[in-house]
Amino acid sequence: MSAGRTLPWDWYPGTIPENVVVDDTAYVETSFSFYLFRSQLPGGVRYGRGASTYLGTMFDVGPRGRVELGEYALVHGARIICDAEVIIGDYALISWNVVFMDTYRLPREVRERRKELERVPAQPLRVAAAEVPAQPIRLERNVWIGFDACVLPGVTIGEGSIVGAKSVVTQSVPPFTVVAGNPARVIRQLDADRRRSAPASTPQRSNASIP
Amino acid sequence: MKPTSQETNALPPGRWTAGQIPANVRVGLNSLITDDLAFKRFHSKQTQALVIGAHCTMDGVHFDLGEQGRMVIGDFCYFTNAVLLCELEVRIGNYVVIGWNTTVCDTDFHPLAPAERIADAIACSPLGQGRPRPPILKRPVIIEDDVWIGPNATILKGVRLGAGAWIEAGSLVTRDVPPASRVLGNPAQVIGTAA
Repeated sequence: MSAGRTLPWDWYPGTIPENVVVDDTAYVETSFSFYLFRSQLPGGVRYGRGASTYLGTMFDVGPRGRVELGEYALVHGARIICDAEVIIGDYALISWNVVFMDTYRLPREVRERRKELERVPAQPLRVAAAEVPAQPIRLERNVWIGFDACVLPGVTIGEGSIVGAKSVVTQSVPPFTVVAGNPARVIRQLDADRRRSAPASTPQRSNASIP
Repeated sequence: MKPTSQETNALPPGRWTAGQIPANVRVGLNSLITDDLAFKRFHSKQTQALVIGAHCTMDGVHFDLGEQGRMVIGDFCYFTNAVLLCELEVRIGNYVVIGWNTTVCDTDFHPLAPAERIADAIACSPLGQGRPRPPILKRPVIIEDDVWIGPNATILKGVRLGAGAWIEAGSLVTRDVPPASRVLGNPAQVIGTAA
């Protein structure tokens, strides 16, 4: 392990883990986002061109978890609980206190869960790491998620769709659809004629000062 | 539901709040409390205000207890950034899990009636010193053994979560939850069984 990369503007005295790939044009507000990051995969988190993560974002990623942030993906503050895969597509807009969980981390069966909860306090880093099945979460491009929303394991959100604030998404969402509520339900379809518009230019924002 | 282990006021070294642990808090062996703000809003004047069992992990939990608040937490509990608001009584069993950013409260904090709310606003204001607050509804929250509560959930006053209940992420629980059932939604509805 090298000394790791620090962020010149960071308030937290941490580093960006070695297996996190940050594009030169991406922005990481704070290394505190990696406080619970335990992934051992190469590219445990991958920031695309112009992607950004801000203060409230937390990569609670297990040893075999992998998170991908697409181009221009803006993650204002998501709790990403990931043991398999959380893919956030290009142009995503993710608001504050959003939860993405691809796993429940603990067994559903009470006796199994007790066993894990007895193991946790014996570990130096007290995190649950039971072998429970994880189901990837996928956000296609241009998805907008409102604040306090939760996205449960196995959910795919289609291109251009919107999830209203405080929604709990339990099932996959088709493309160009607005869902809201707890549990989330389809509210309406988005205008087919205005489905695509390419970005006019590619402005520069830089994380290049990270060595 | 009572913690069975020996209690102590000594906390193991760890990522523990820089503040003082209040004298009326008892913490069991090998339990860990982190976060500088854990007792920032701890105002309880009860002699045994907060009793935490053994082998618990209270990571970033806020223990916000009012003057009359009493809270008991069992053994092997695992809470992440939960906000526990207690003006009367919150009782939590053994092997309970509470997910990130979940709120548990045993009161609405203010009266429902409009005129009483004005009186309460004045009493709570910087100008209200010494003025009594109107009576406010409080009802104990009871969380039995082996309950799992996901992130971003809310548990309101007077609710009993039956043993082994599974509270899905984001649920807003306004009524009792039967043992071993799985609930989801706002308001939370039973959608199946826990296991």
